[in-house]
Amino acid sequence: MALSTPPRALHRAWPGWRHLPRDSRDTLFQLAVIGWTILPHYAHLAPWCMALTALMLFWRAHLAVTNAPLPSRWAVAGVLMVAAALTLWSERTLFGKEAGVTMLVVLMALKTLELRARRDAMVVFFLGFFLVLTNFLYSQSLATAVAMLLSVWGLLTALVLAHMPVGKPPLRQAGALAARAAALGAPLMVALFLLFPRIGPLWGMPQDAAGKTGLSGTMQMGAMAEIANDDEVAFRIRFDGRVPPPEAMYFRGPVLTRFDGREWTRQPGANTMTPRLRSELQLLGQPLRYEMTLEPSRLALLPLLELTPDRSDAAPQLEGINAWLRGDLQWQTERPVAERLRFQASAWPMHRHGPRQMTLALREHVALPPDHNPRTLEWAAALRRRTDLAQADPRTLVAAVLRHLRDGDYLYTLEPGSYGKNAVDEFWFDRKLGFCEHFAASLVVVLRAMDVPSRVVTGYQGTDPTPVDGYYIVRQSNAHAWAEYWQPGEGWVRVDPTATVSPNRIIRGASLLPRQGLMAGALGSVSPQLLARVRSALELANNRWNQWVMNYSRGQQFKLLQSLGVQAPTWQDLALALISLLCAGSLAAAGWALWDRHRQDPWQRLQRRIQQRLALLKVPVQPHEPPRTRAQRVRQHLGLAGEALALELEALDRSRYGQSGRPGLARGWWKRFAALAAATGGR
Amino acid sequence: MVWPKDVPSAPRSGSAQTGLRGRFRHWWLARHPVTDTWTLNQHNIYILPTRGGWAFGLTLLVMLVSSINYQLNLGYVLTFLLAGSGLVSIHLTHGTLRGLTLHLRPATPVFAGEPALLEVVMSNPGGARHGIGLRFQERPHDPRDAWCDVPEQGQASASLSMVPTSRGWHPVPALLVETRFPFGLFRAWTHWRPASPVLAYPRPEQPTPPLPLAQSAPGGAPQARQGQGSELDGVRAWRRGDGLRQVVWKKAARSGQLVSRETTAESSRELWLEWQATQGAHSAGAEGRLSRLTAWVLAAEQQGLVYGLRLPSQQFAPDRGDAHQRRLLRELALWH
Repeated sequence: MALSTPPRALHRAWPGWRHLPRDSRDTLFQLAVIGWTILPHYAHLAPWCMALTALMLFWRAHLAVTNAPLPSRWAVAGVLMVAAALTLWSERTLFGKEAGVTMLVVLMALKTLELRARRDAMVVFFLGFFLVLTNFLYSQSLATAVAMLLSVWGLLTALVLAHMPVGKPPLRQAGALAARAAALGAPLMVALFLLFPRIGPLWGMPQDAAGKTGLSGTMQMGAMAEIANDDEVAFRIRFDGRVPPPEAMYFRGPVLTRFDGREWTRQPGANTMTPRLRSELQLLGQPLRYEMTLEPSRLALLPLLELTPDRSDAAPQLEGINAWLRGDLQWQTERPVAERLRFQASAWPMHRHGPRQMTLALREHVALPPDHNPRTLEWAAALRRRTDLAQADPRTLVAAVLRHLRDGDYLYTLEPGSYGKNAVDEFWFDRKLGFCEHFAASLVVVLRAMDVPSRVVTGYQGTDPTPVDGYYIVRQSNAHAWAEYWQPGEGWVRVDPTATVSPNRIIRGASLLPRQGLMAGALGSVSPQLLARVRSALELANNRWNQWVMNYSRGQQFKLLQSLGVQAPTWQDLALALISLLCAGSLAAAGWALWDRHRQDPWQRLQRRIQQRLALLKVPVQPHEPPRTRAQRVRQHLGLAGEALALELEALDRSRYGQSGRPGLARGWWKRFAALAAATGGR
Repeated sequence: MVWPKDVPSAPRSGSAQTGLRGRFRHWWLARHPVTDTWTLNQHNIYILPTRGGWAFGLTLLVMLVSSINYQLNLGYVLTFLLAGSGLVSIHLTHGTLRGLTLHLRPATPVFAGEPALLEVVMSNPGGARHGIGLRFQERPHDPRDAWCDVPEQGQASASLSMVPTSRGWHPVPALLVETRFPFGLFRAWTHWRPASPVLAYPRPEQPTPPLPLAQSAPGGAPQARQGQGSELDGVRAWRRGDGLRQVVWKKAARSGQLVSRETTAESSRELWLEWQATQGAHSAGAEGRLSRLTAWVLAAEQQGLVYGLRLPSQQFAPDRGDAHQRRLLRELALWH
């Protein structure tokens, strides 16, 4: 009992939710909705921002409960300046996505501190709607959608409350009114969503592209560590027939040849396939047919399954964007992919490529920067001097290095710390820690030091272990780097040094263990089957959501039009369909309005019907007579037989004109009255 | 509604009539009929976006551009959901007024300078309606504007007050009935020119001047005493027609019965309130005289006297009671 009693000061200030004055209650409700909307940002905003926002919201709530005056404009402006300075300090800029969201959240909290006029309230609502949108920048999952639907409902409810100036309308009533308006607007939303032509970004947002993924065409040691923890979906893939094992799923991204001691970059000359390169590409065995849904990556490439050639029956068919196969077998697009793409393609897991004989072009693949990694060079020379390796071919040399990697206590970790100038030296001899890019880069350096042509390939490797609805999900955390070396007579051969050290990373395809929430943990210990079933149902719902809502793109729009009978639809057809639908809706509304104009007041219609029915019973009544007068006439003309009718008429009169009349009575009244009248007439 | 003959046929022009805008507004208003019962339908409800509505549109545009640039399908969903709700709110806002019947209750006459209460009854043939505001056309927004909700199939009333500055008939200025419900993105309104005017009696002179001397009624004993000094001679049970000021409230509170003062001279004296006797009334001319006569009428009625009124052209026989008092006050209000 003592525990549940609030502190005395609070007790005095808090009159209980039901007894709060209306203004306080509305403000608290609004603050709760705003807090709920901001809450998902907790994961990716700076701690100071969340702390400041929470502080301001609680302060505002305190002011609302105690009915204290709002702070002066100067105080608010001061907090704003501090927030801007903090943003500048933590984000290094005031523009761009992160800084923008940070400022928006702070502004929202600040604006609640100066709700003085109706205009201020409207600003809060509009900021709130925009804030809901910012949540979608980070997640568009089903859970986010449901949470934000609640937010929108709350904001609309608060908006309705603000326009009900009389008395103290219950929250439930305002909520129902808001839900009704939203439900009435839903058909329009569906039509717009289905038919509004999806177009590419109107302008690029260069700041947001960088660092989003490691496949940017350059590589530095440690740059991929951040995205290794990024669970965001990169693409989904579904196989038409045979599904390859996860360890065979390599999705090819930029191929990095040049190394300046710090950074790996692409070979500038390999932009297109030459006839010679094409002739060197040899496809073996059966192809795999697959369908891929690529999320907007903002990179000018398609990470396709190795190896997808540019033959007309195998290459991806794309809408609205051109793509071609580079000389290093990476698929390049003409511009960064900013829309969701869905396409089908075929890949040959068994293939050979690259020159079979040593050429001058291969010399570029043994180049190393001078003055870097002297110990590695020395070690390579020592290996080369070993009797068993002196005359060995590249395959034997690679095997020797991999054996050293396996036996030398090298550790796979996502947090190896930062490396200095001679990073490869540090990796081989001092730290012996790293992840895919460290392994790949270090292997390539040592191979080149032994005069073996080799290069780094970046891309994705592996998928989520279990498919959902047939789709395997590849996440940003599946980003990977491996190596290729040149074997005389065979061409380029893939070697993945990471697999040597951490086979799990390759075979299971997941770099991180799936995290288990508290609920899932408790459920799993009680009933593992149930947990598995719940999880698969959730995954299924999520995947349906992904396929139907999140991935709804221009391709699906065109398919929709095709199923409606439009041949070869274009975006003009979409616009036309949308406009005609809207016109039809407007015409229907106009028609309704015309009909509504001639509609009669229900009360007067009821009175006319009563008059007609009484006329059948030979009771003459005038149009203007109220029900109680009609009750008297019924008594005069029908006597006792009409008593029941008269009582009903009097009840109707009371409900309309009485002090404590129930307004809803008229609904079921007519049926009762008509039945009574029929009974009376029959007698 | 009987149209009183002295009422000017057009609403009094306000200061806003100057300038092109004012003239347009005057012309616009004049297109509306003058009536006491105003049924709202598609012909007389206007609807336009508010400033908030324009801002909402701008917000939606920004949200759409963001959704396009970041390729957010949920952003599209949100933007289109809000756009749909906003468009539907046109219908809801319009529907809040559509079908309502407004009726102005006849206003009780007041003295010039005192606020007259105008009660507007709204009858609702349909579902519940919220946030309907009532104000005078000429007056800007004011926190004292009357707001009301109208229950389903029911009635509600809202009151406004106007202060007539002079005696006589005062037309009720054009009223504005508006709503922004549910989202405040659109404002629907109607102009209404009520027909019934408000009657204002002359402002009674303050402080109350002493009553003129009464003459004894024919057949009664002449008694010369000042009406003002009438003494309390006794009490009797309250009768219809006794003024509120005649009630002995202290006694009534104790006994629970209404009792009135009775003065000895009550029935036996007859007081003539004469236009001629008001010569000394300030220097304000006819209006000052009417003010004094009004004050006298009030005082005489309060004291329970039998009094008559003589104006230059007319004469009203002595009597007493509420109806008599109202009749005299009305004549004073409309005299010219």
